[in-house]
Amino acid sequence: MSAQAKLYSLFADKLFNVCLKYSRTPEDAQDTLQDSFMVIFKDIKKFKYKGSFEGWAKRVTVNVALQKFRKKSIIKFDDIEESKIPEEKVYVDVEEKEISLDFLLSLINKLPPQYQLIFNLYVLDEYSHKEISEILDISVGTSKSNLSRARKLLKKEIDAIKKLQL
Amino acid sequence: MSKNIDKLFKDKFKESKATAPTEAWPVIQAKLKMRIINRLIYTFSVLGFLGLISFILFSTQTEKTLSKPLLKNTSLKNEVILKDNDVKEVKEVDVNNDKLPMSKPQENSKKLYATIATKKESKNNTTKFLYKNNTKTSKKTPFFKNKLGYAISEKVVKGRINLLGYSLDSLDYSVKKNLKAERKKRRKKKDSVDDAKFNNEKRRRWNVIPVFGALNSGRLSKNVTTLGTTRAVTYPDKYFDDNKSSGLISSTYGFNVVFRATNRISIQTGIFSKELRFLTEDLFLSEFIPDVNPTNIIYNPGVEVRFSNTPEIGGSESASLAQTIVYLEMPFELKYRMFGSLKFNTNIIGGFSFLYLNKNEIRAKTDIFSRSIGRASNVLTTSTTLNIGLDVEYHLSKRLVFNSAVIYKKHYNTYKDYNNEYSPYTFGMHVGIGYKF
Repeated sequence: MSAQAKLYSLFADKLFNVCLKYSRTPEDAQDTLQDSFMVIFKDIKKFKYKGSFEGWAKRVTVNVALQKFRKKSIIKFDDIEESKIPEEKVYVDVEEKEISLDFLLSLINKLPPQYQLIFNLYVLDEYSHKEISEILDISVGTSKSNLSRARKLLKKEIDAIKKLQL
Repeated sequence: MSKNIDKLFKDKFKESKATAPTEAWPVIQAKLKMRIINRLIYTFSVLGFLGLISFILFSTQTEKTLSKPLLKNTSLKNEVILKDNDVKEVKEVDVNNDKLPMSKPQENSKKLYATIATKKESKNNTTKFLYKNNTKTSKKTPFFKNKLGYAISEKVVKGRINLLGYSLDSLDYSVKKNLKAERKKRRKKKDSVDDAKFNNEKRRRWNVIPVFGALNSGRLSKNVTTLGTTRAVTYPDKYFDDNKSSGLISSTYGFNVVFRATNRISIQTGIFSKELRFLTEDLFLSEFIPDVNPTNIIYNPGVEVRFSNTPEIGGSESASLAQTIVYLEMPFELKYRMFGSLKFNTNIIGGFSFLYLNKNEIRAKTDIFSRSIGRASNVLTTSTTLNIGLDVEYHLSKRLVFNSAVIYKKHYNTYKDYNNEYSPYTFGMHVGIGYKF
């Protein structure tokens, strides 16, 4: 087994999870995974042992996924002044066991692309607003406002589906 | 039960154990192989191109050397004097001595222009000889036996070999066909990805590049045969036909504006100041105006010295003629992207330039001074060039691109009294950092 094959077997599943969040279909996610591994193999010398290799590989995958995402979607961020954005936490009234991962994925995929990107980056991949603003070339305020709208839309969807079940 | 929406998503995704599809790894392996092949192709293409350029440069230099007359006034290296039928005597003459007497009129002895003798023929003979000695006479009557030891006919064996050959051919054909289809498919996929990339970057289709370049100028020589010797015509005047002439390193600067029309094709134009410099050597400065005076030089008012091909009696100062021609250049070129990646692109450049004469100067250079003494009258005000080259782009950031190009430019309609066959050419390296917007 070559070193590349070993690396693939160790990280493929974890990175595929990342790819799923930024892709509309599993086929797109597979494409992203392949491209990400190509970049990882090419740039592996750039890994300077600062932090874990897994963290670095995930960042590479997110970057590749973002590039692909931008190609496929027209993204228009809503610009809002930072001071006008209230810091709020959004709560939903659900039993965690009743909700599947596929359902949550479908909810994320229903979001407009700009909200989907920022929600994924901030909530699921734990990037800060500052980092997001640098990656997406937007202001911190824009990042915060788009995240707030993403949360509200997700809550609205979950509430609507819950009402239907009742 | 109320739950924070962020925590809900985070926890669910942490729990999830999606497995990567099994088809992904073979595709990655194939891509890795393709990357190695592409690297090899790229390396060989670059090496091939450099080899071609070196060959062109080398052959041009060799042509100049071969066509240069060795018997010329005081700058002779060797004189080959034919005395009797086949007896040759080589007379050594000091090359560095500028004050040698003029060559005397050709009397009694037949002077010949030296030709370069190659050892090709003798080499070939040696090779043949060695080959002959090494060749061994092969023994005839080969034996063919089957497993049981029975002798089988030569005809049957030949038939089997033919059959095997046919099967190999058909196998080869089908493999090639499959490979072709696979390559076509990949190319199509890559093109569509590139198109998508291009559409995504549509906002940054313009690129302005301040460019600086170093050029090596040269003039295509006209081969004239006189007294059985091939000579090169030099400029600015036929009067200096026999003199040693060479191009000098010159510079060009300006800026390019590039518009990326499609994913592969870009159009570029700009404005440049382009300089051509030539040196004609082994001349003399004299106050005596010779009967055969260069007609293509208009001397500045007040300049009393003249260029002469022969020294005056009593001695003349030896000099060189330095010609500088500066044009305002406006190129119109197409760039075709051959291959590349997000960071790195290689393009072929083809096009033409309009030139407008901006400076035309002839300087006299001696050991003591260098002075502008006139201009060439046979240089046309407007002319054109045909351009061909190879361009490499390296993306330093989203907006900044490092650009480097090797371009060959052949000039047309440069002189009034010579046709395009003897026009100048330049071969240069241009570099610049462009800004995309």
